[in-house]
Amino acid sequence: MTELLLNSIVNGILLGGVLALLAFGMNLIFGVVKIIHLAYGQCVMLGMYVVYTLAVQMHLPVILSCIIALPVMGIVGLVLQLLVINPLLKAKANPLTQLLALAGLTIVVENAAQVVWGADLRGINIQLPLIHIGNVFLRTSNLIAFFGALLTLWGLYLFLNRTYLGLAIRSIAQDLDSARLMGINPRMIYFITMAAGGILTGLIAAFFSPIYAVHPHFGGSFTLMAFIIVVLGGMGNLLGGFIGAFIIGVVTSVSAVLTSTEIADIIVLVIFISVILIRPQGLLGIRVSK
Amino acid sequence: MAATLTVILVFAAVGVFPYFVPSPYLLHIGTLIFIWSFITTAWSYMGRFGLVSLGHGAFLGVGAYTTGLLFNFYGLTPWVGMLLGGLAAVGLAVVIGYACFRFGVIGDYFALVTLALGEVVALTLIAFRDITGGSLGFTLKSKGTSLFYFQSEEKIHFYYVSLAFLILGLLVWKWIDRSRMQKALRAIGEDEIAASTLGVGIIRYKMVITMISAFLTAIGAVLYAQYITYLNPHTLSGVAPSLEIAFKAILGGMFSLWGPTVGTALIVSLEEYFRVVYGSTFVGFSQIIYGLALVLLIIFLPKGIYGSVQDWFKKKA
Amino acid sequence: MPRSSRLTWERKRPAAMLEIEKVSVFYGEFQAIFDVSLRVSEGETVITVGPNGAGKSTLLKTISGLLQPRSGSITFLGNRLDRMPAHEIVELGIAQVPEGGRLFPQLSVYENLRVGSFLPRARGEATATLKEIYGLFPILDERKRQYADTLSGGERQMLAIARSLMSRPKLILLDEPSSGLAPRVVTRVFEFVHQIKSQGYAILMVEQNVRKGLQLSDRAYLIESGRIVKEGPRKTFLEDDYIKKAYIGL
Repeated sequence: MTELLLNSIVNGILLGGVLALLAFGMNLIFGVVKIIHLAYGQCVMLGMYVVYTLAVQMHLPVILSCIIALPVMGIVGLVLQLLVINPLLKAKANPLTQLLALAGLTIVVENAAQVVWGADLRGINIQLPLIHIGNVFLRTSNLIAFFGALLTLWGLYLFLNRTYLGLAIRSIAQDLDSARLMGINPRMIYFITMAAGGILTGLIAAFFSPIYAVHPHFGGSFTLMAFIIVVLGGMGNLLGGFIGAFIIGVVTSVSAVLTSTEIADIIVLVIFISVILIRPQGLLGIRVSK
Repeated sequence: MAATLTVILVFAAVGVFPYFVPSPYLLHIGTLIFIWSFITTAWSYMGRFGLVSLGHGAFLGVGAYTTGLLFNFYGLTPWVGMLLGGLAAVGLAVVIGYACFRFGVIGDYFALVTLALGEVVALTLIAFRDITGGSLGFTLKSKGTSLFYFQSEEKIHFYYVSLAFLILGLLVWKWIDRSRMQKALRAIGEDEIAASTLGVGIIRYKMVITMISAFLTAIGAVLYAQYITYLNPHTLSGVAPSLEIAFKAILGGMFSLWGPTVGTALIVSLEEYFRVVYGSTFVGFSQIIYGLALVLLIIFLPKGIYGSVQDWFKKKA
Repeated sequence: MPRSSRLTWERKRPAAMLEIEKVSVFYGEFQAIFDVSLRVSEGETVITVGPNGAGKSTLLKTISGLLQPRSGSITFLGNRLDRMPAHEIVELGIAQVPEGGRLFPQLSVYENLRVGSFLPRARGEATATLKEIYGLFPILDERKRQYADTLSGGERQMLAIARSLMSRPKLILLDEPSSGLAPRVVTRVFEFVHQIKSQGYAILMVEQNVRKGLQLSDRAYLIESGRIVKEGPRKTFLEDDYIKKAYIGL
């Protein structure tokens, strides 16, 4: 029993790494563009379909497929910016309207995926070795995802804190008008943010592809989880998202092993509801008037 | 006056329609429209005052499953089961509603809590698969055509019963309009902080409207379950039906009496059209169009189709 | 005081840097500024005074491109500003210190200054500029790792002004530099403004503290209810009875 528990905790931590990337993307977009990207998980799903199409249907090497997926998803992010986000911003839609519009988008993406690739599971079916450390079984794919995610997050941290562009992004997130007075072009920053967000979804898709098979409803559960993480950590708070990701990763993993996947999801949802009720600004969030 | 007359004529036309056009298929579509219009209208009791719920699937599920399971396992007549299911939904509404209103959770945060709630109910129903049949759902035991057991093998019965329910739903709307509650809720909807300084019993009014909405939604779900005689957690709980209800209301315009009905009629017809024309070759194609239309509509026509048409007429006057 | 003849006035007048001509600004249907004309010349310090809500801040926001005028023109060194986006206006050489400073709360003092040199033309010289700034404001050097919102009111104002200098501007817009500050701090802030002025920057200042503000300025405008009611050199304003009674409190 303790073996099982230990395994689930370790795997939860590994999962947390990638969830942290997911949370980062959503937090970045929310912080800068001020929109809750409810379709983020669906974008990851699209990325996985891209990898699948390249690797299985076009017989390209897996690594190449993953690499190609990155700019493709970056472009998807930009397209989303142009077609959905910009109109929403221009129409000065209230947060509820934004939520609904993006929920509508998730329906479009999921069904488009179903039309194009069908409802069956699509996996890239590569087998990577299992590693034993004592009584714990680790899958190489999970390890790659975990360390890859951490490395990426480190790089993103450096980018945000050591470069002018990173500084500009943080400024726009904190005070839009003040940033404009510094000579920063908000449009350009939005583009970069959405493109970066898109590339991140491609990267997450690359990490997920060896682990999961994709299907049209795959995005939904990840969007929900990413969203819960982001709320838990404090919307727009990158560190909070990071911590929240590991909490949720471990909770999900352990609950699934102790009870069942559904109850694990219920527990996560109950945590979510409690956070919104009791401390809507999240663990690390700053209370801004609701 | 002219308006009331038109309404009566429309209902009369709808009422005698089956005798002129005895098509079981059209009766089926009509029944679906009536049932979902009823449910969507019930949703809009809350929506029109700024309490946009993305989790009414919770009430659908609780209502339908309570009734259906009590019937299948204990032979309890759905007419009583309906009341119990409705009360269960109200109970749930009270718990989550009070928690939200007490903590001042409004707007998009409220929507998110309800979204989570809808999913919790769905997952719970799936988790207890030994009783509920899990993801595959369960079928109601057949009792043929029986008023007592609220089942019928004649489509036309449900056509009229659903129509009656829809009329009930619309009457409740009108009743809300005329009550004191309406003024209070409108004030709350427009500026909650200002309303609270005026001593309006915010929590009380919100609770009442939420309870009414939950109760009627649950009843609507029972109606649907009895018509189809089959319950499934993906159609009667969770994110998908919750969003669909919200979308139908917003499409038609949730601030007007007929908005939800118009929205529902449009969506159901559209879905049917796509299903018939594109069939199974493009499963999901209709949903894409539907989703796209909704995104565009939400951005450009915040008052929905019916609401915008109303505005347009008002401008001309 | 009688104006000199128009011809001598024009000959004496140095080159205009910023020309605002008959500008009107609306907030929706509400008109905040009515046909205002104003100019700032190179090296000049110009002050606009007037009661709260008169439109002074609105004017600065419009110059910087945060608002668009409905009519009229704003020209800076030959470039039309009124249809230009805010970030491009900064590139031309106009920096604004908004009211209260509007520092980035979750950035350190150092980072706030760094953002100020975001413009490509300022970036190269950022390190040198920073050194100068630390020379002028040593306390910012001391606190450079602290978060901006942990500074005192006066320090924040200094940081905000310093930040605006990082972009190596030609014209600095100051929106109520003394706002919310204690009298002693206000004196220090104005000392810094004086130092900046003596470095040759052109300054357009909006200020409630008329007496202290006028002491720094070369010329002044009085704006009431969105209209220019008086304009003239400093001496005129200081000696004007209406101004003295209404705004200097004598």
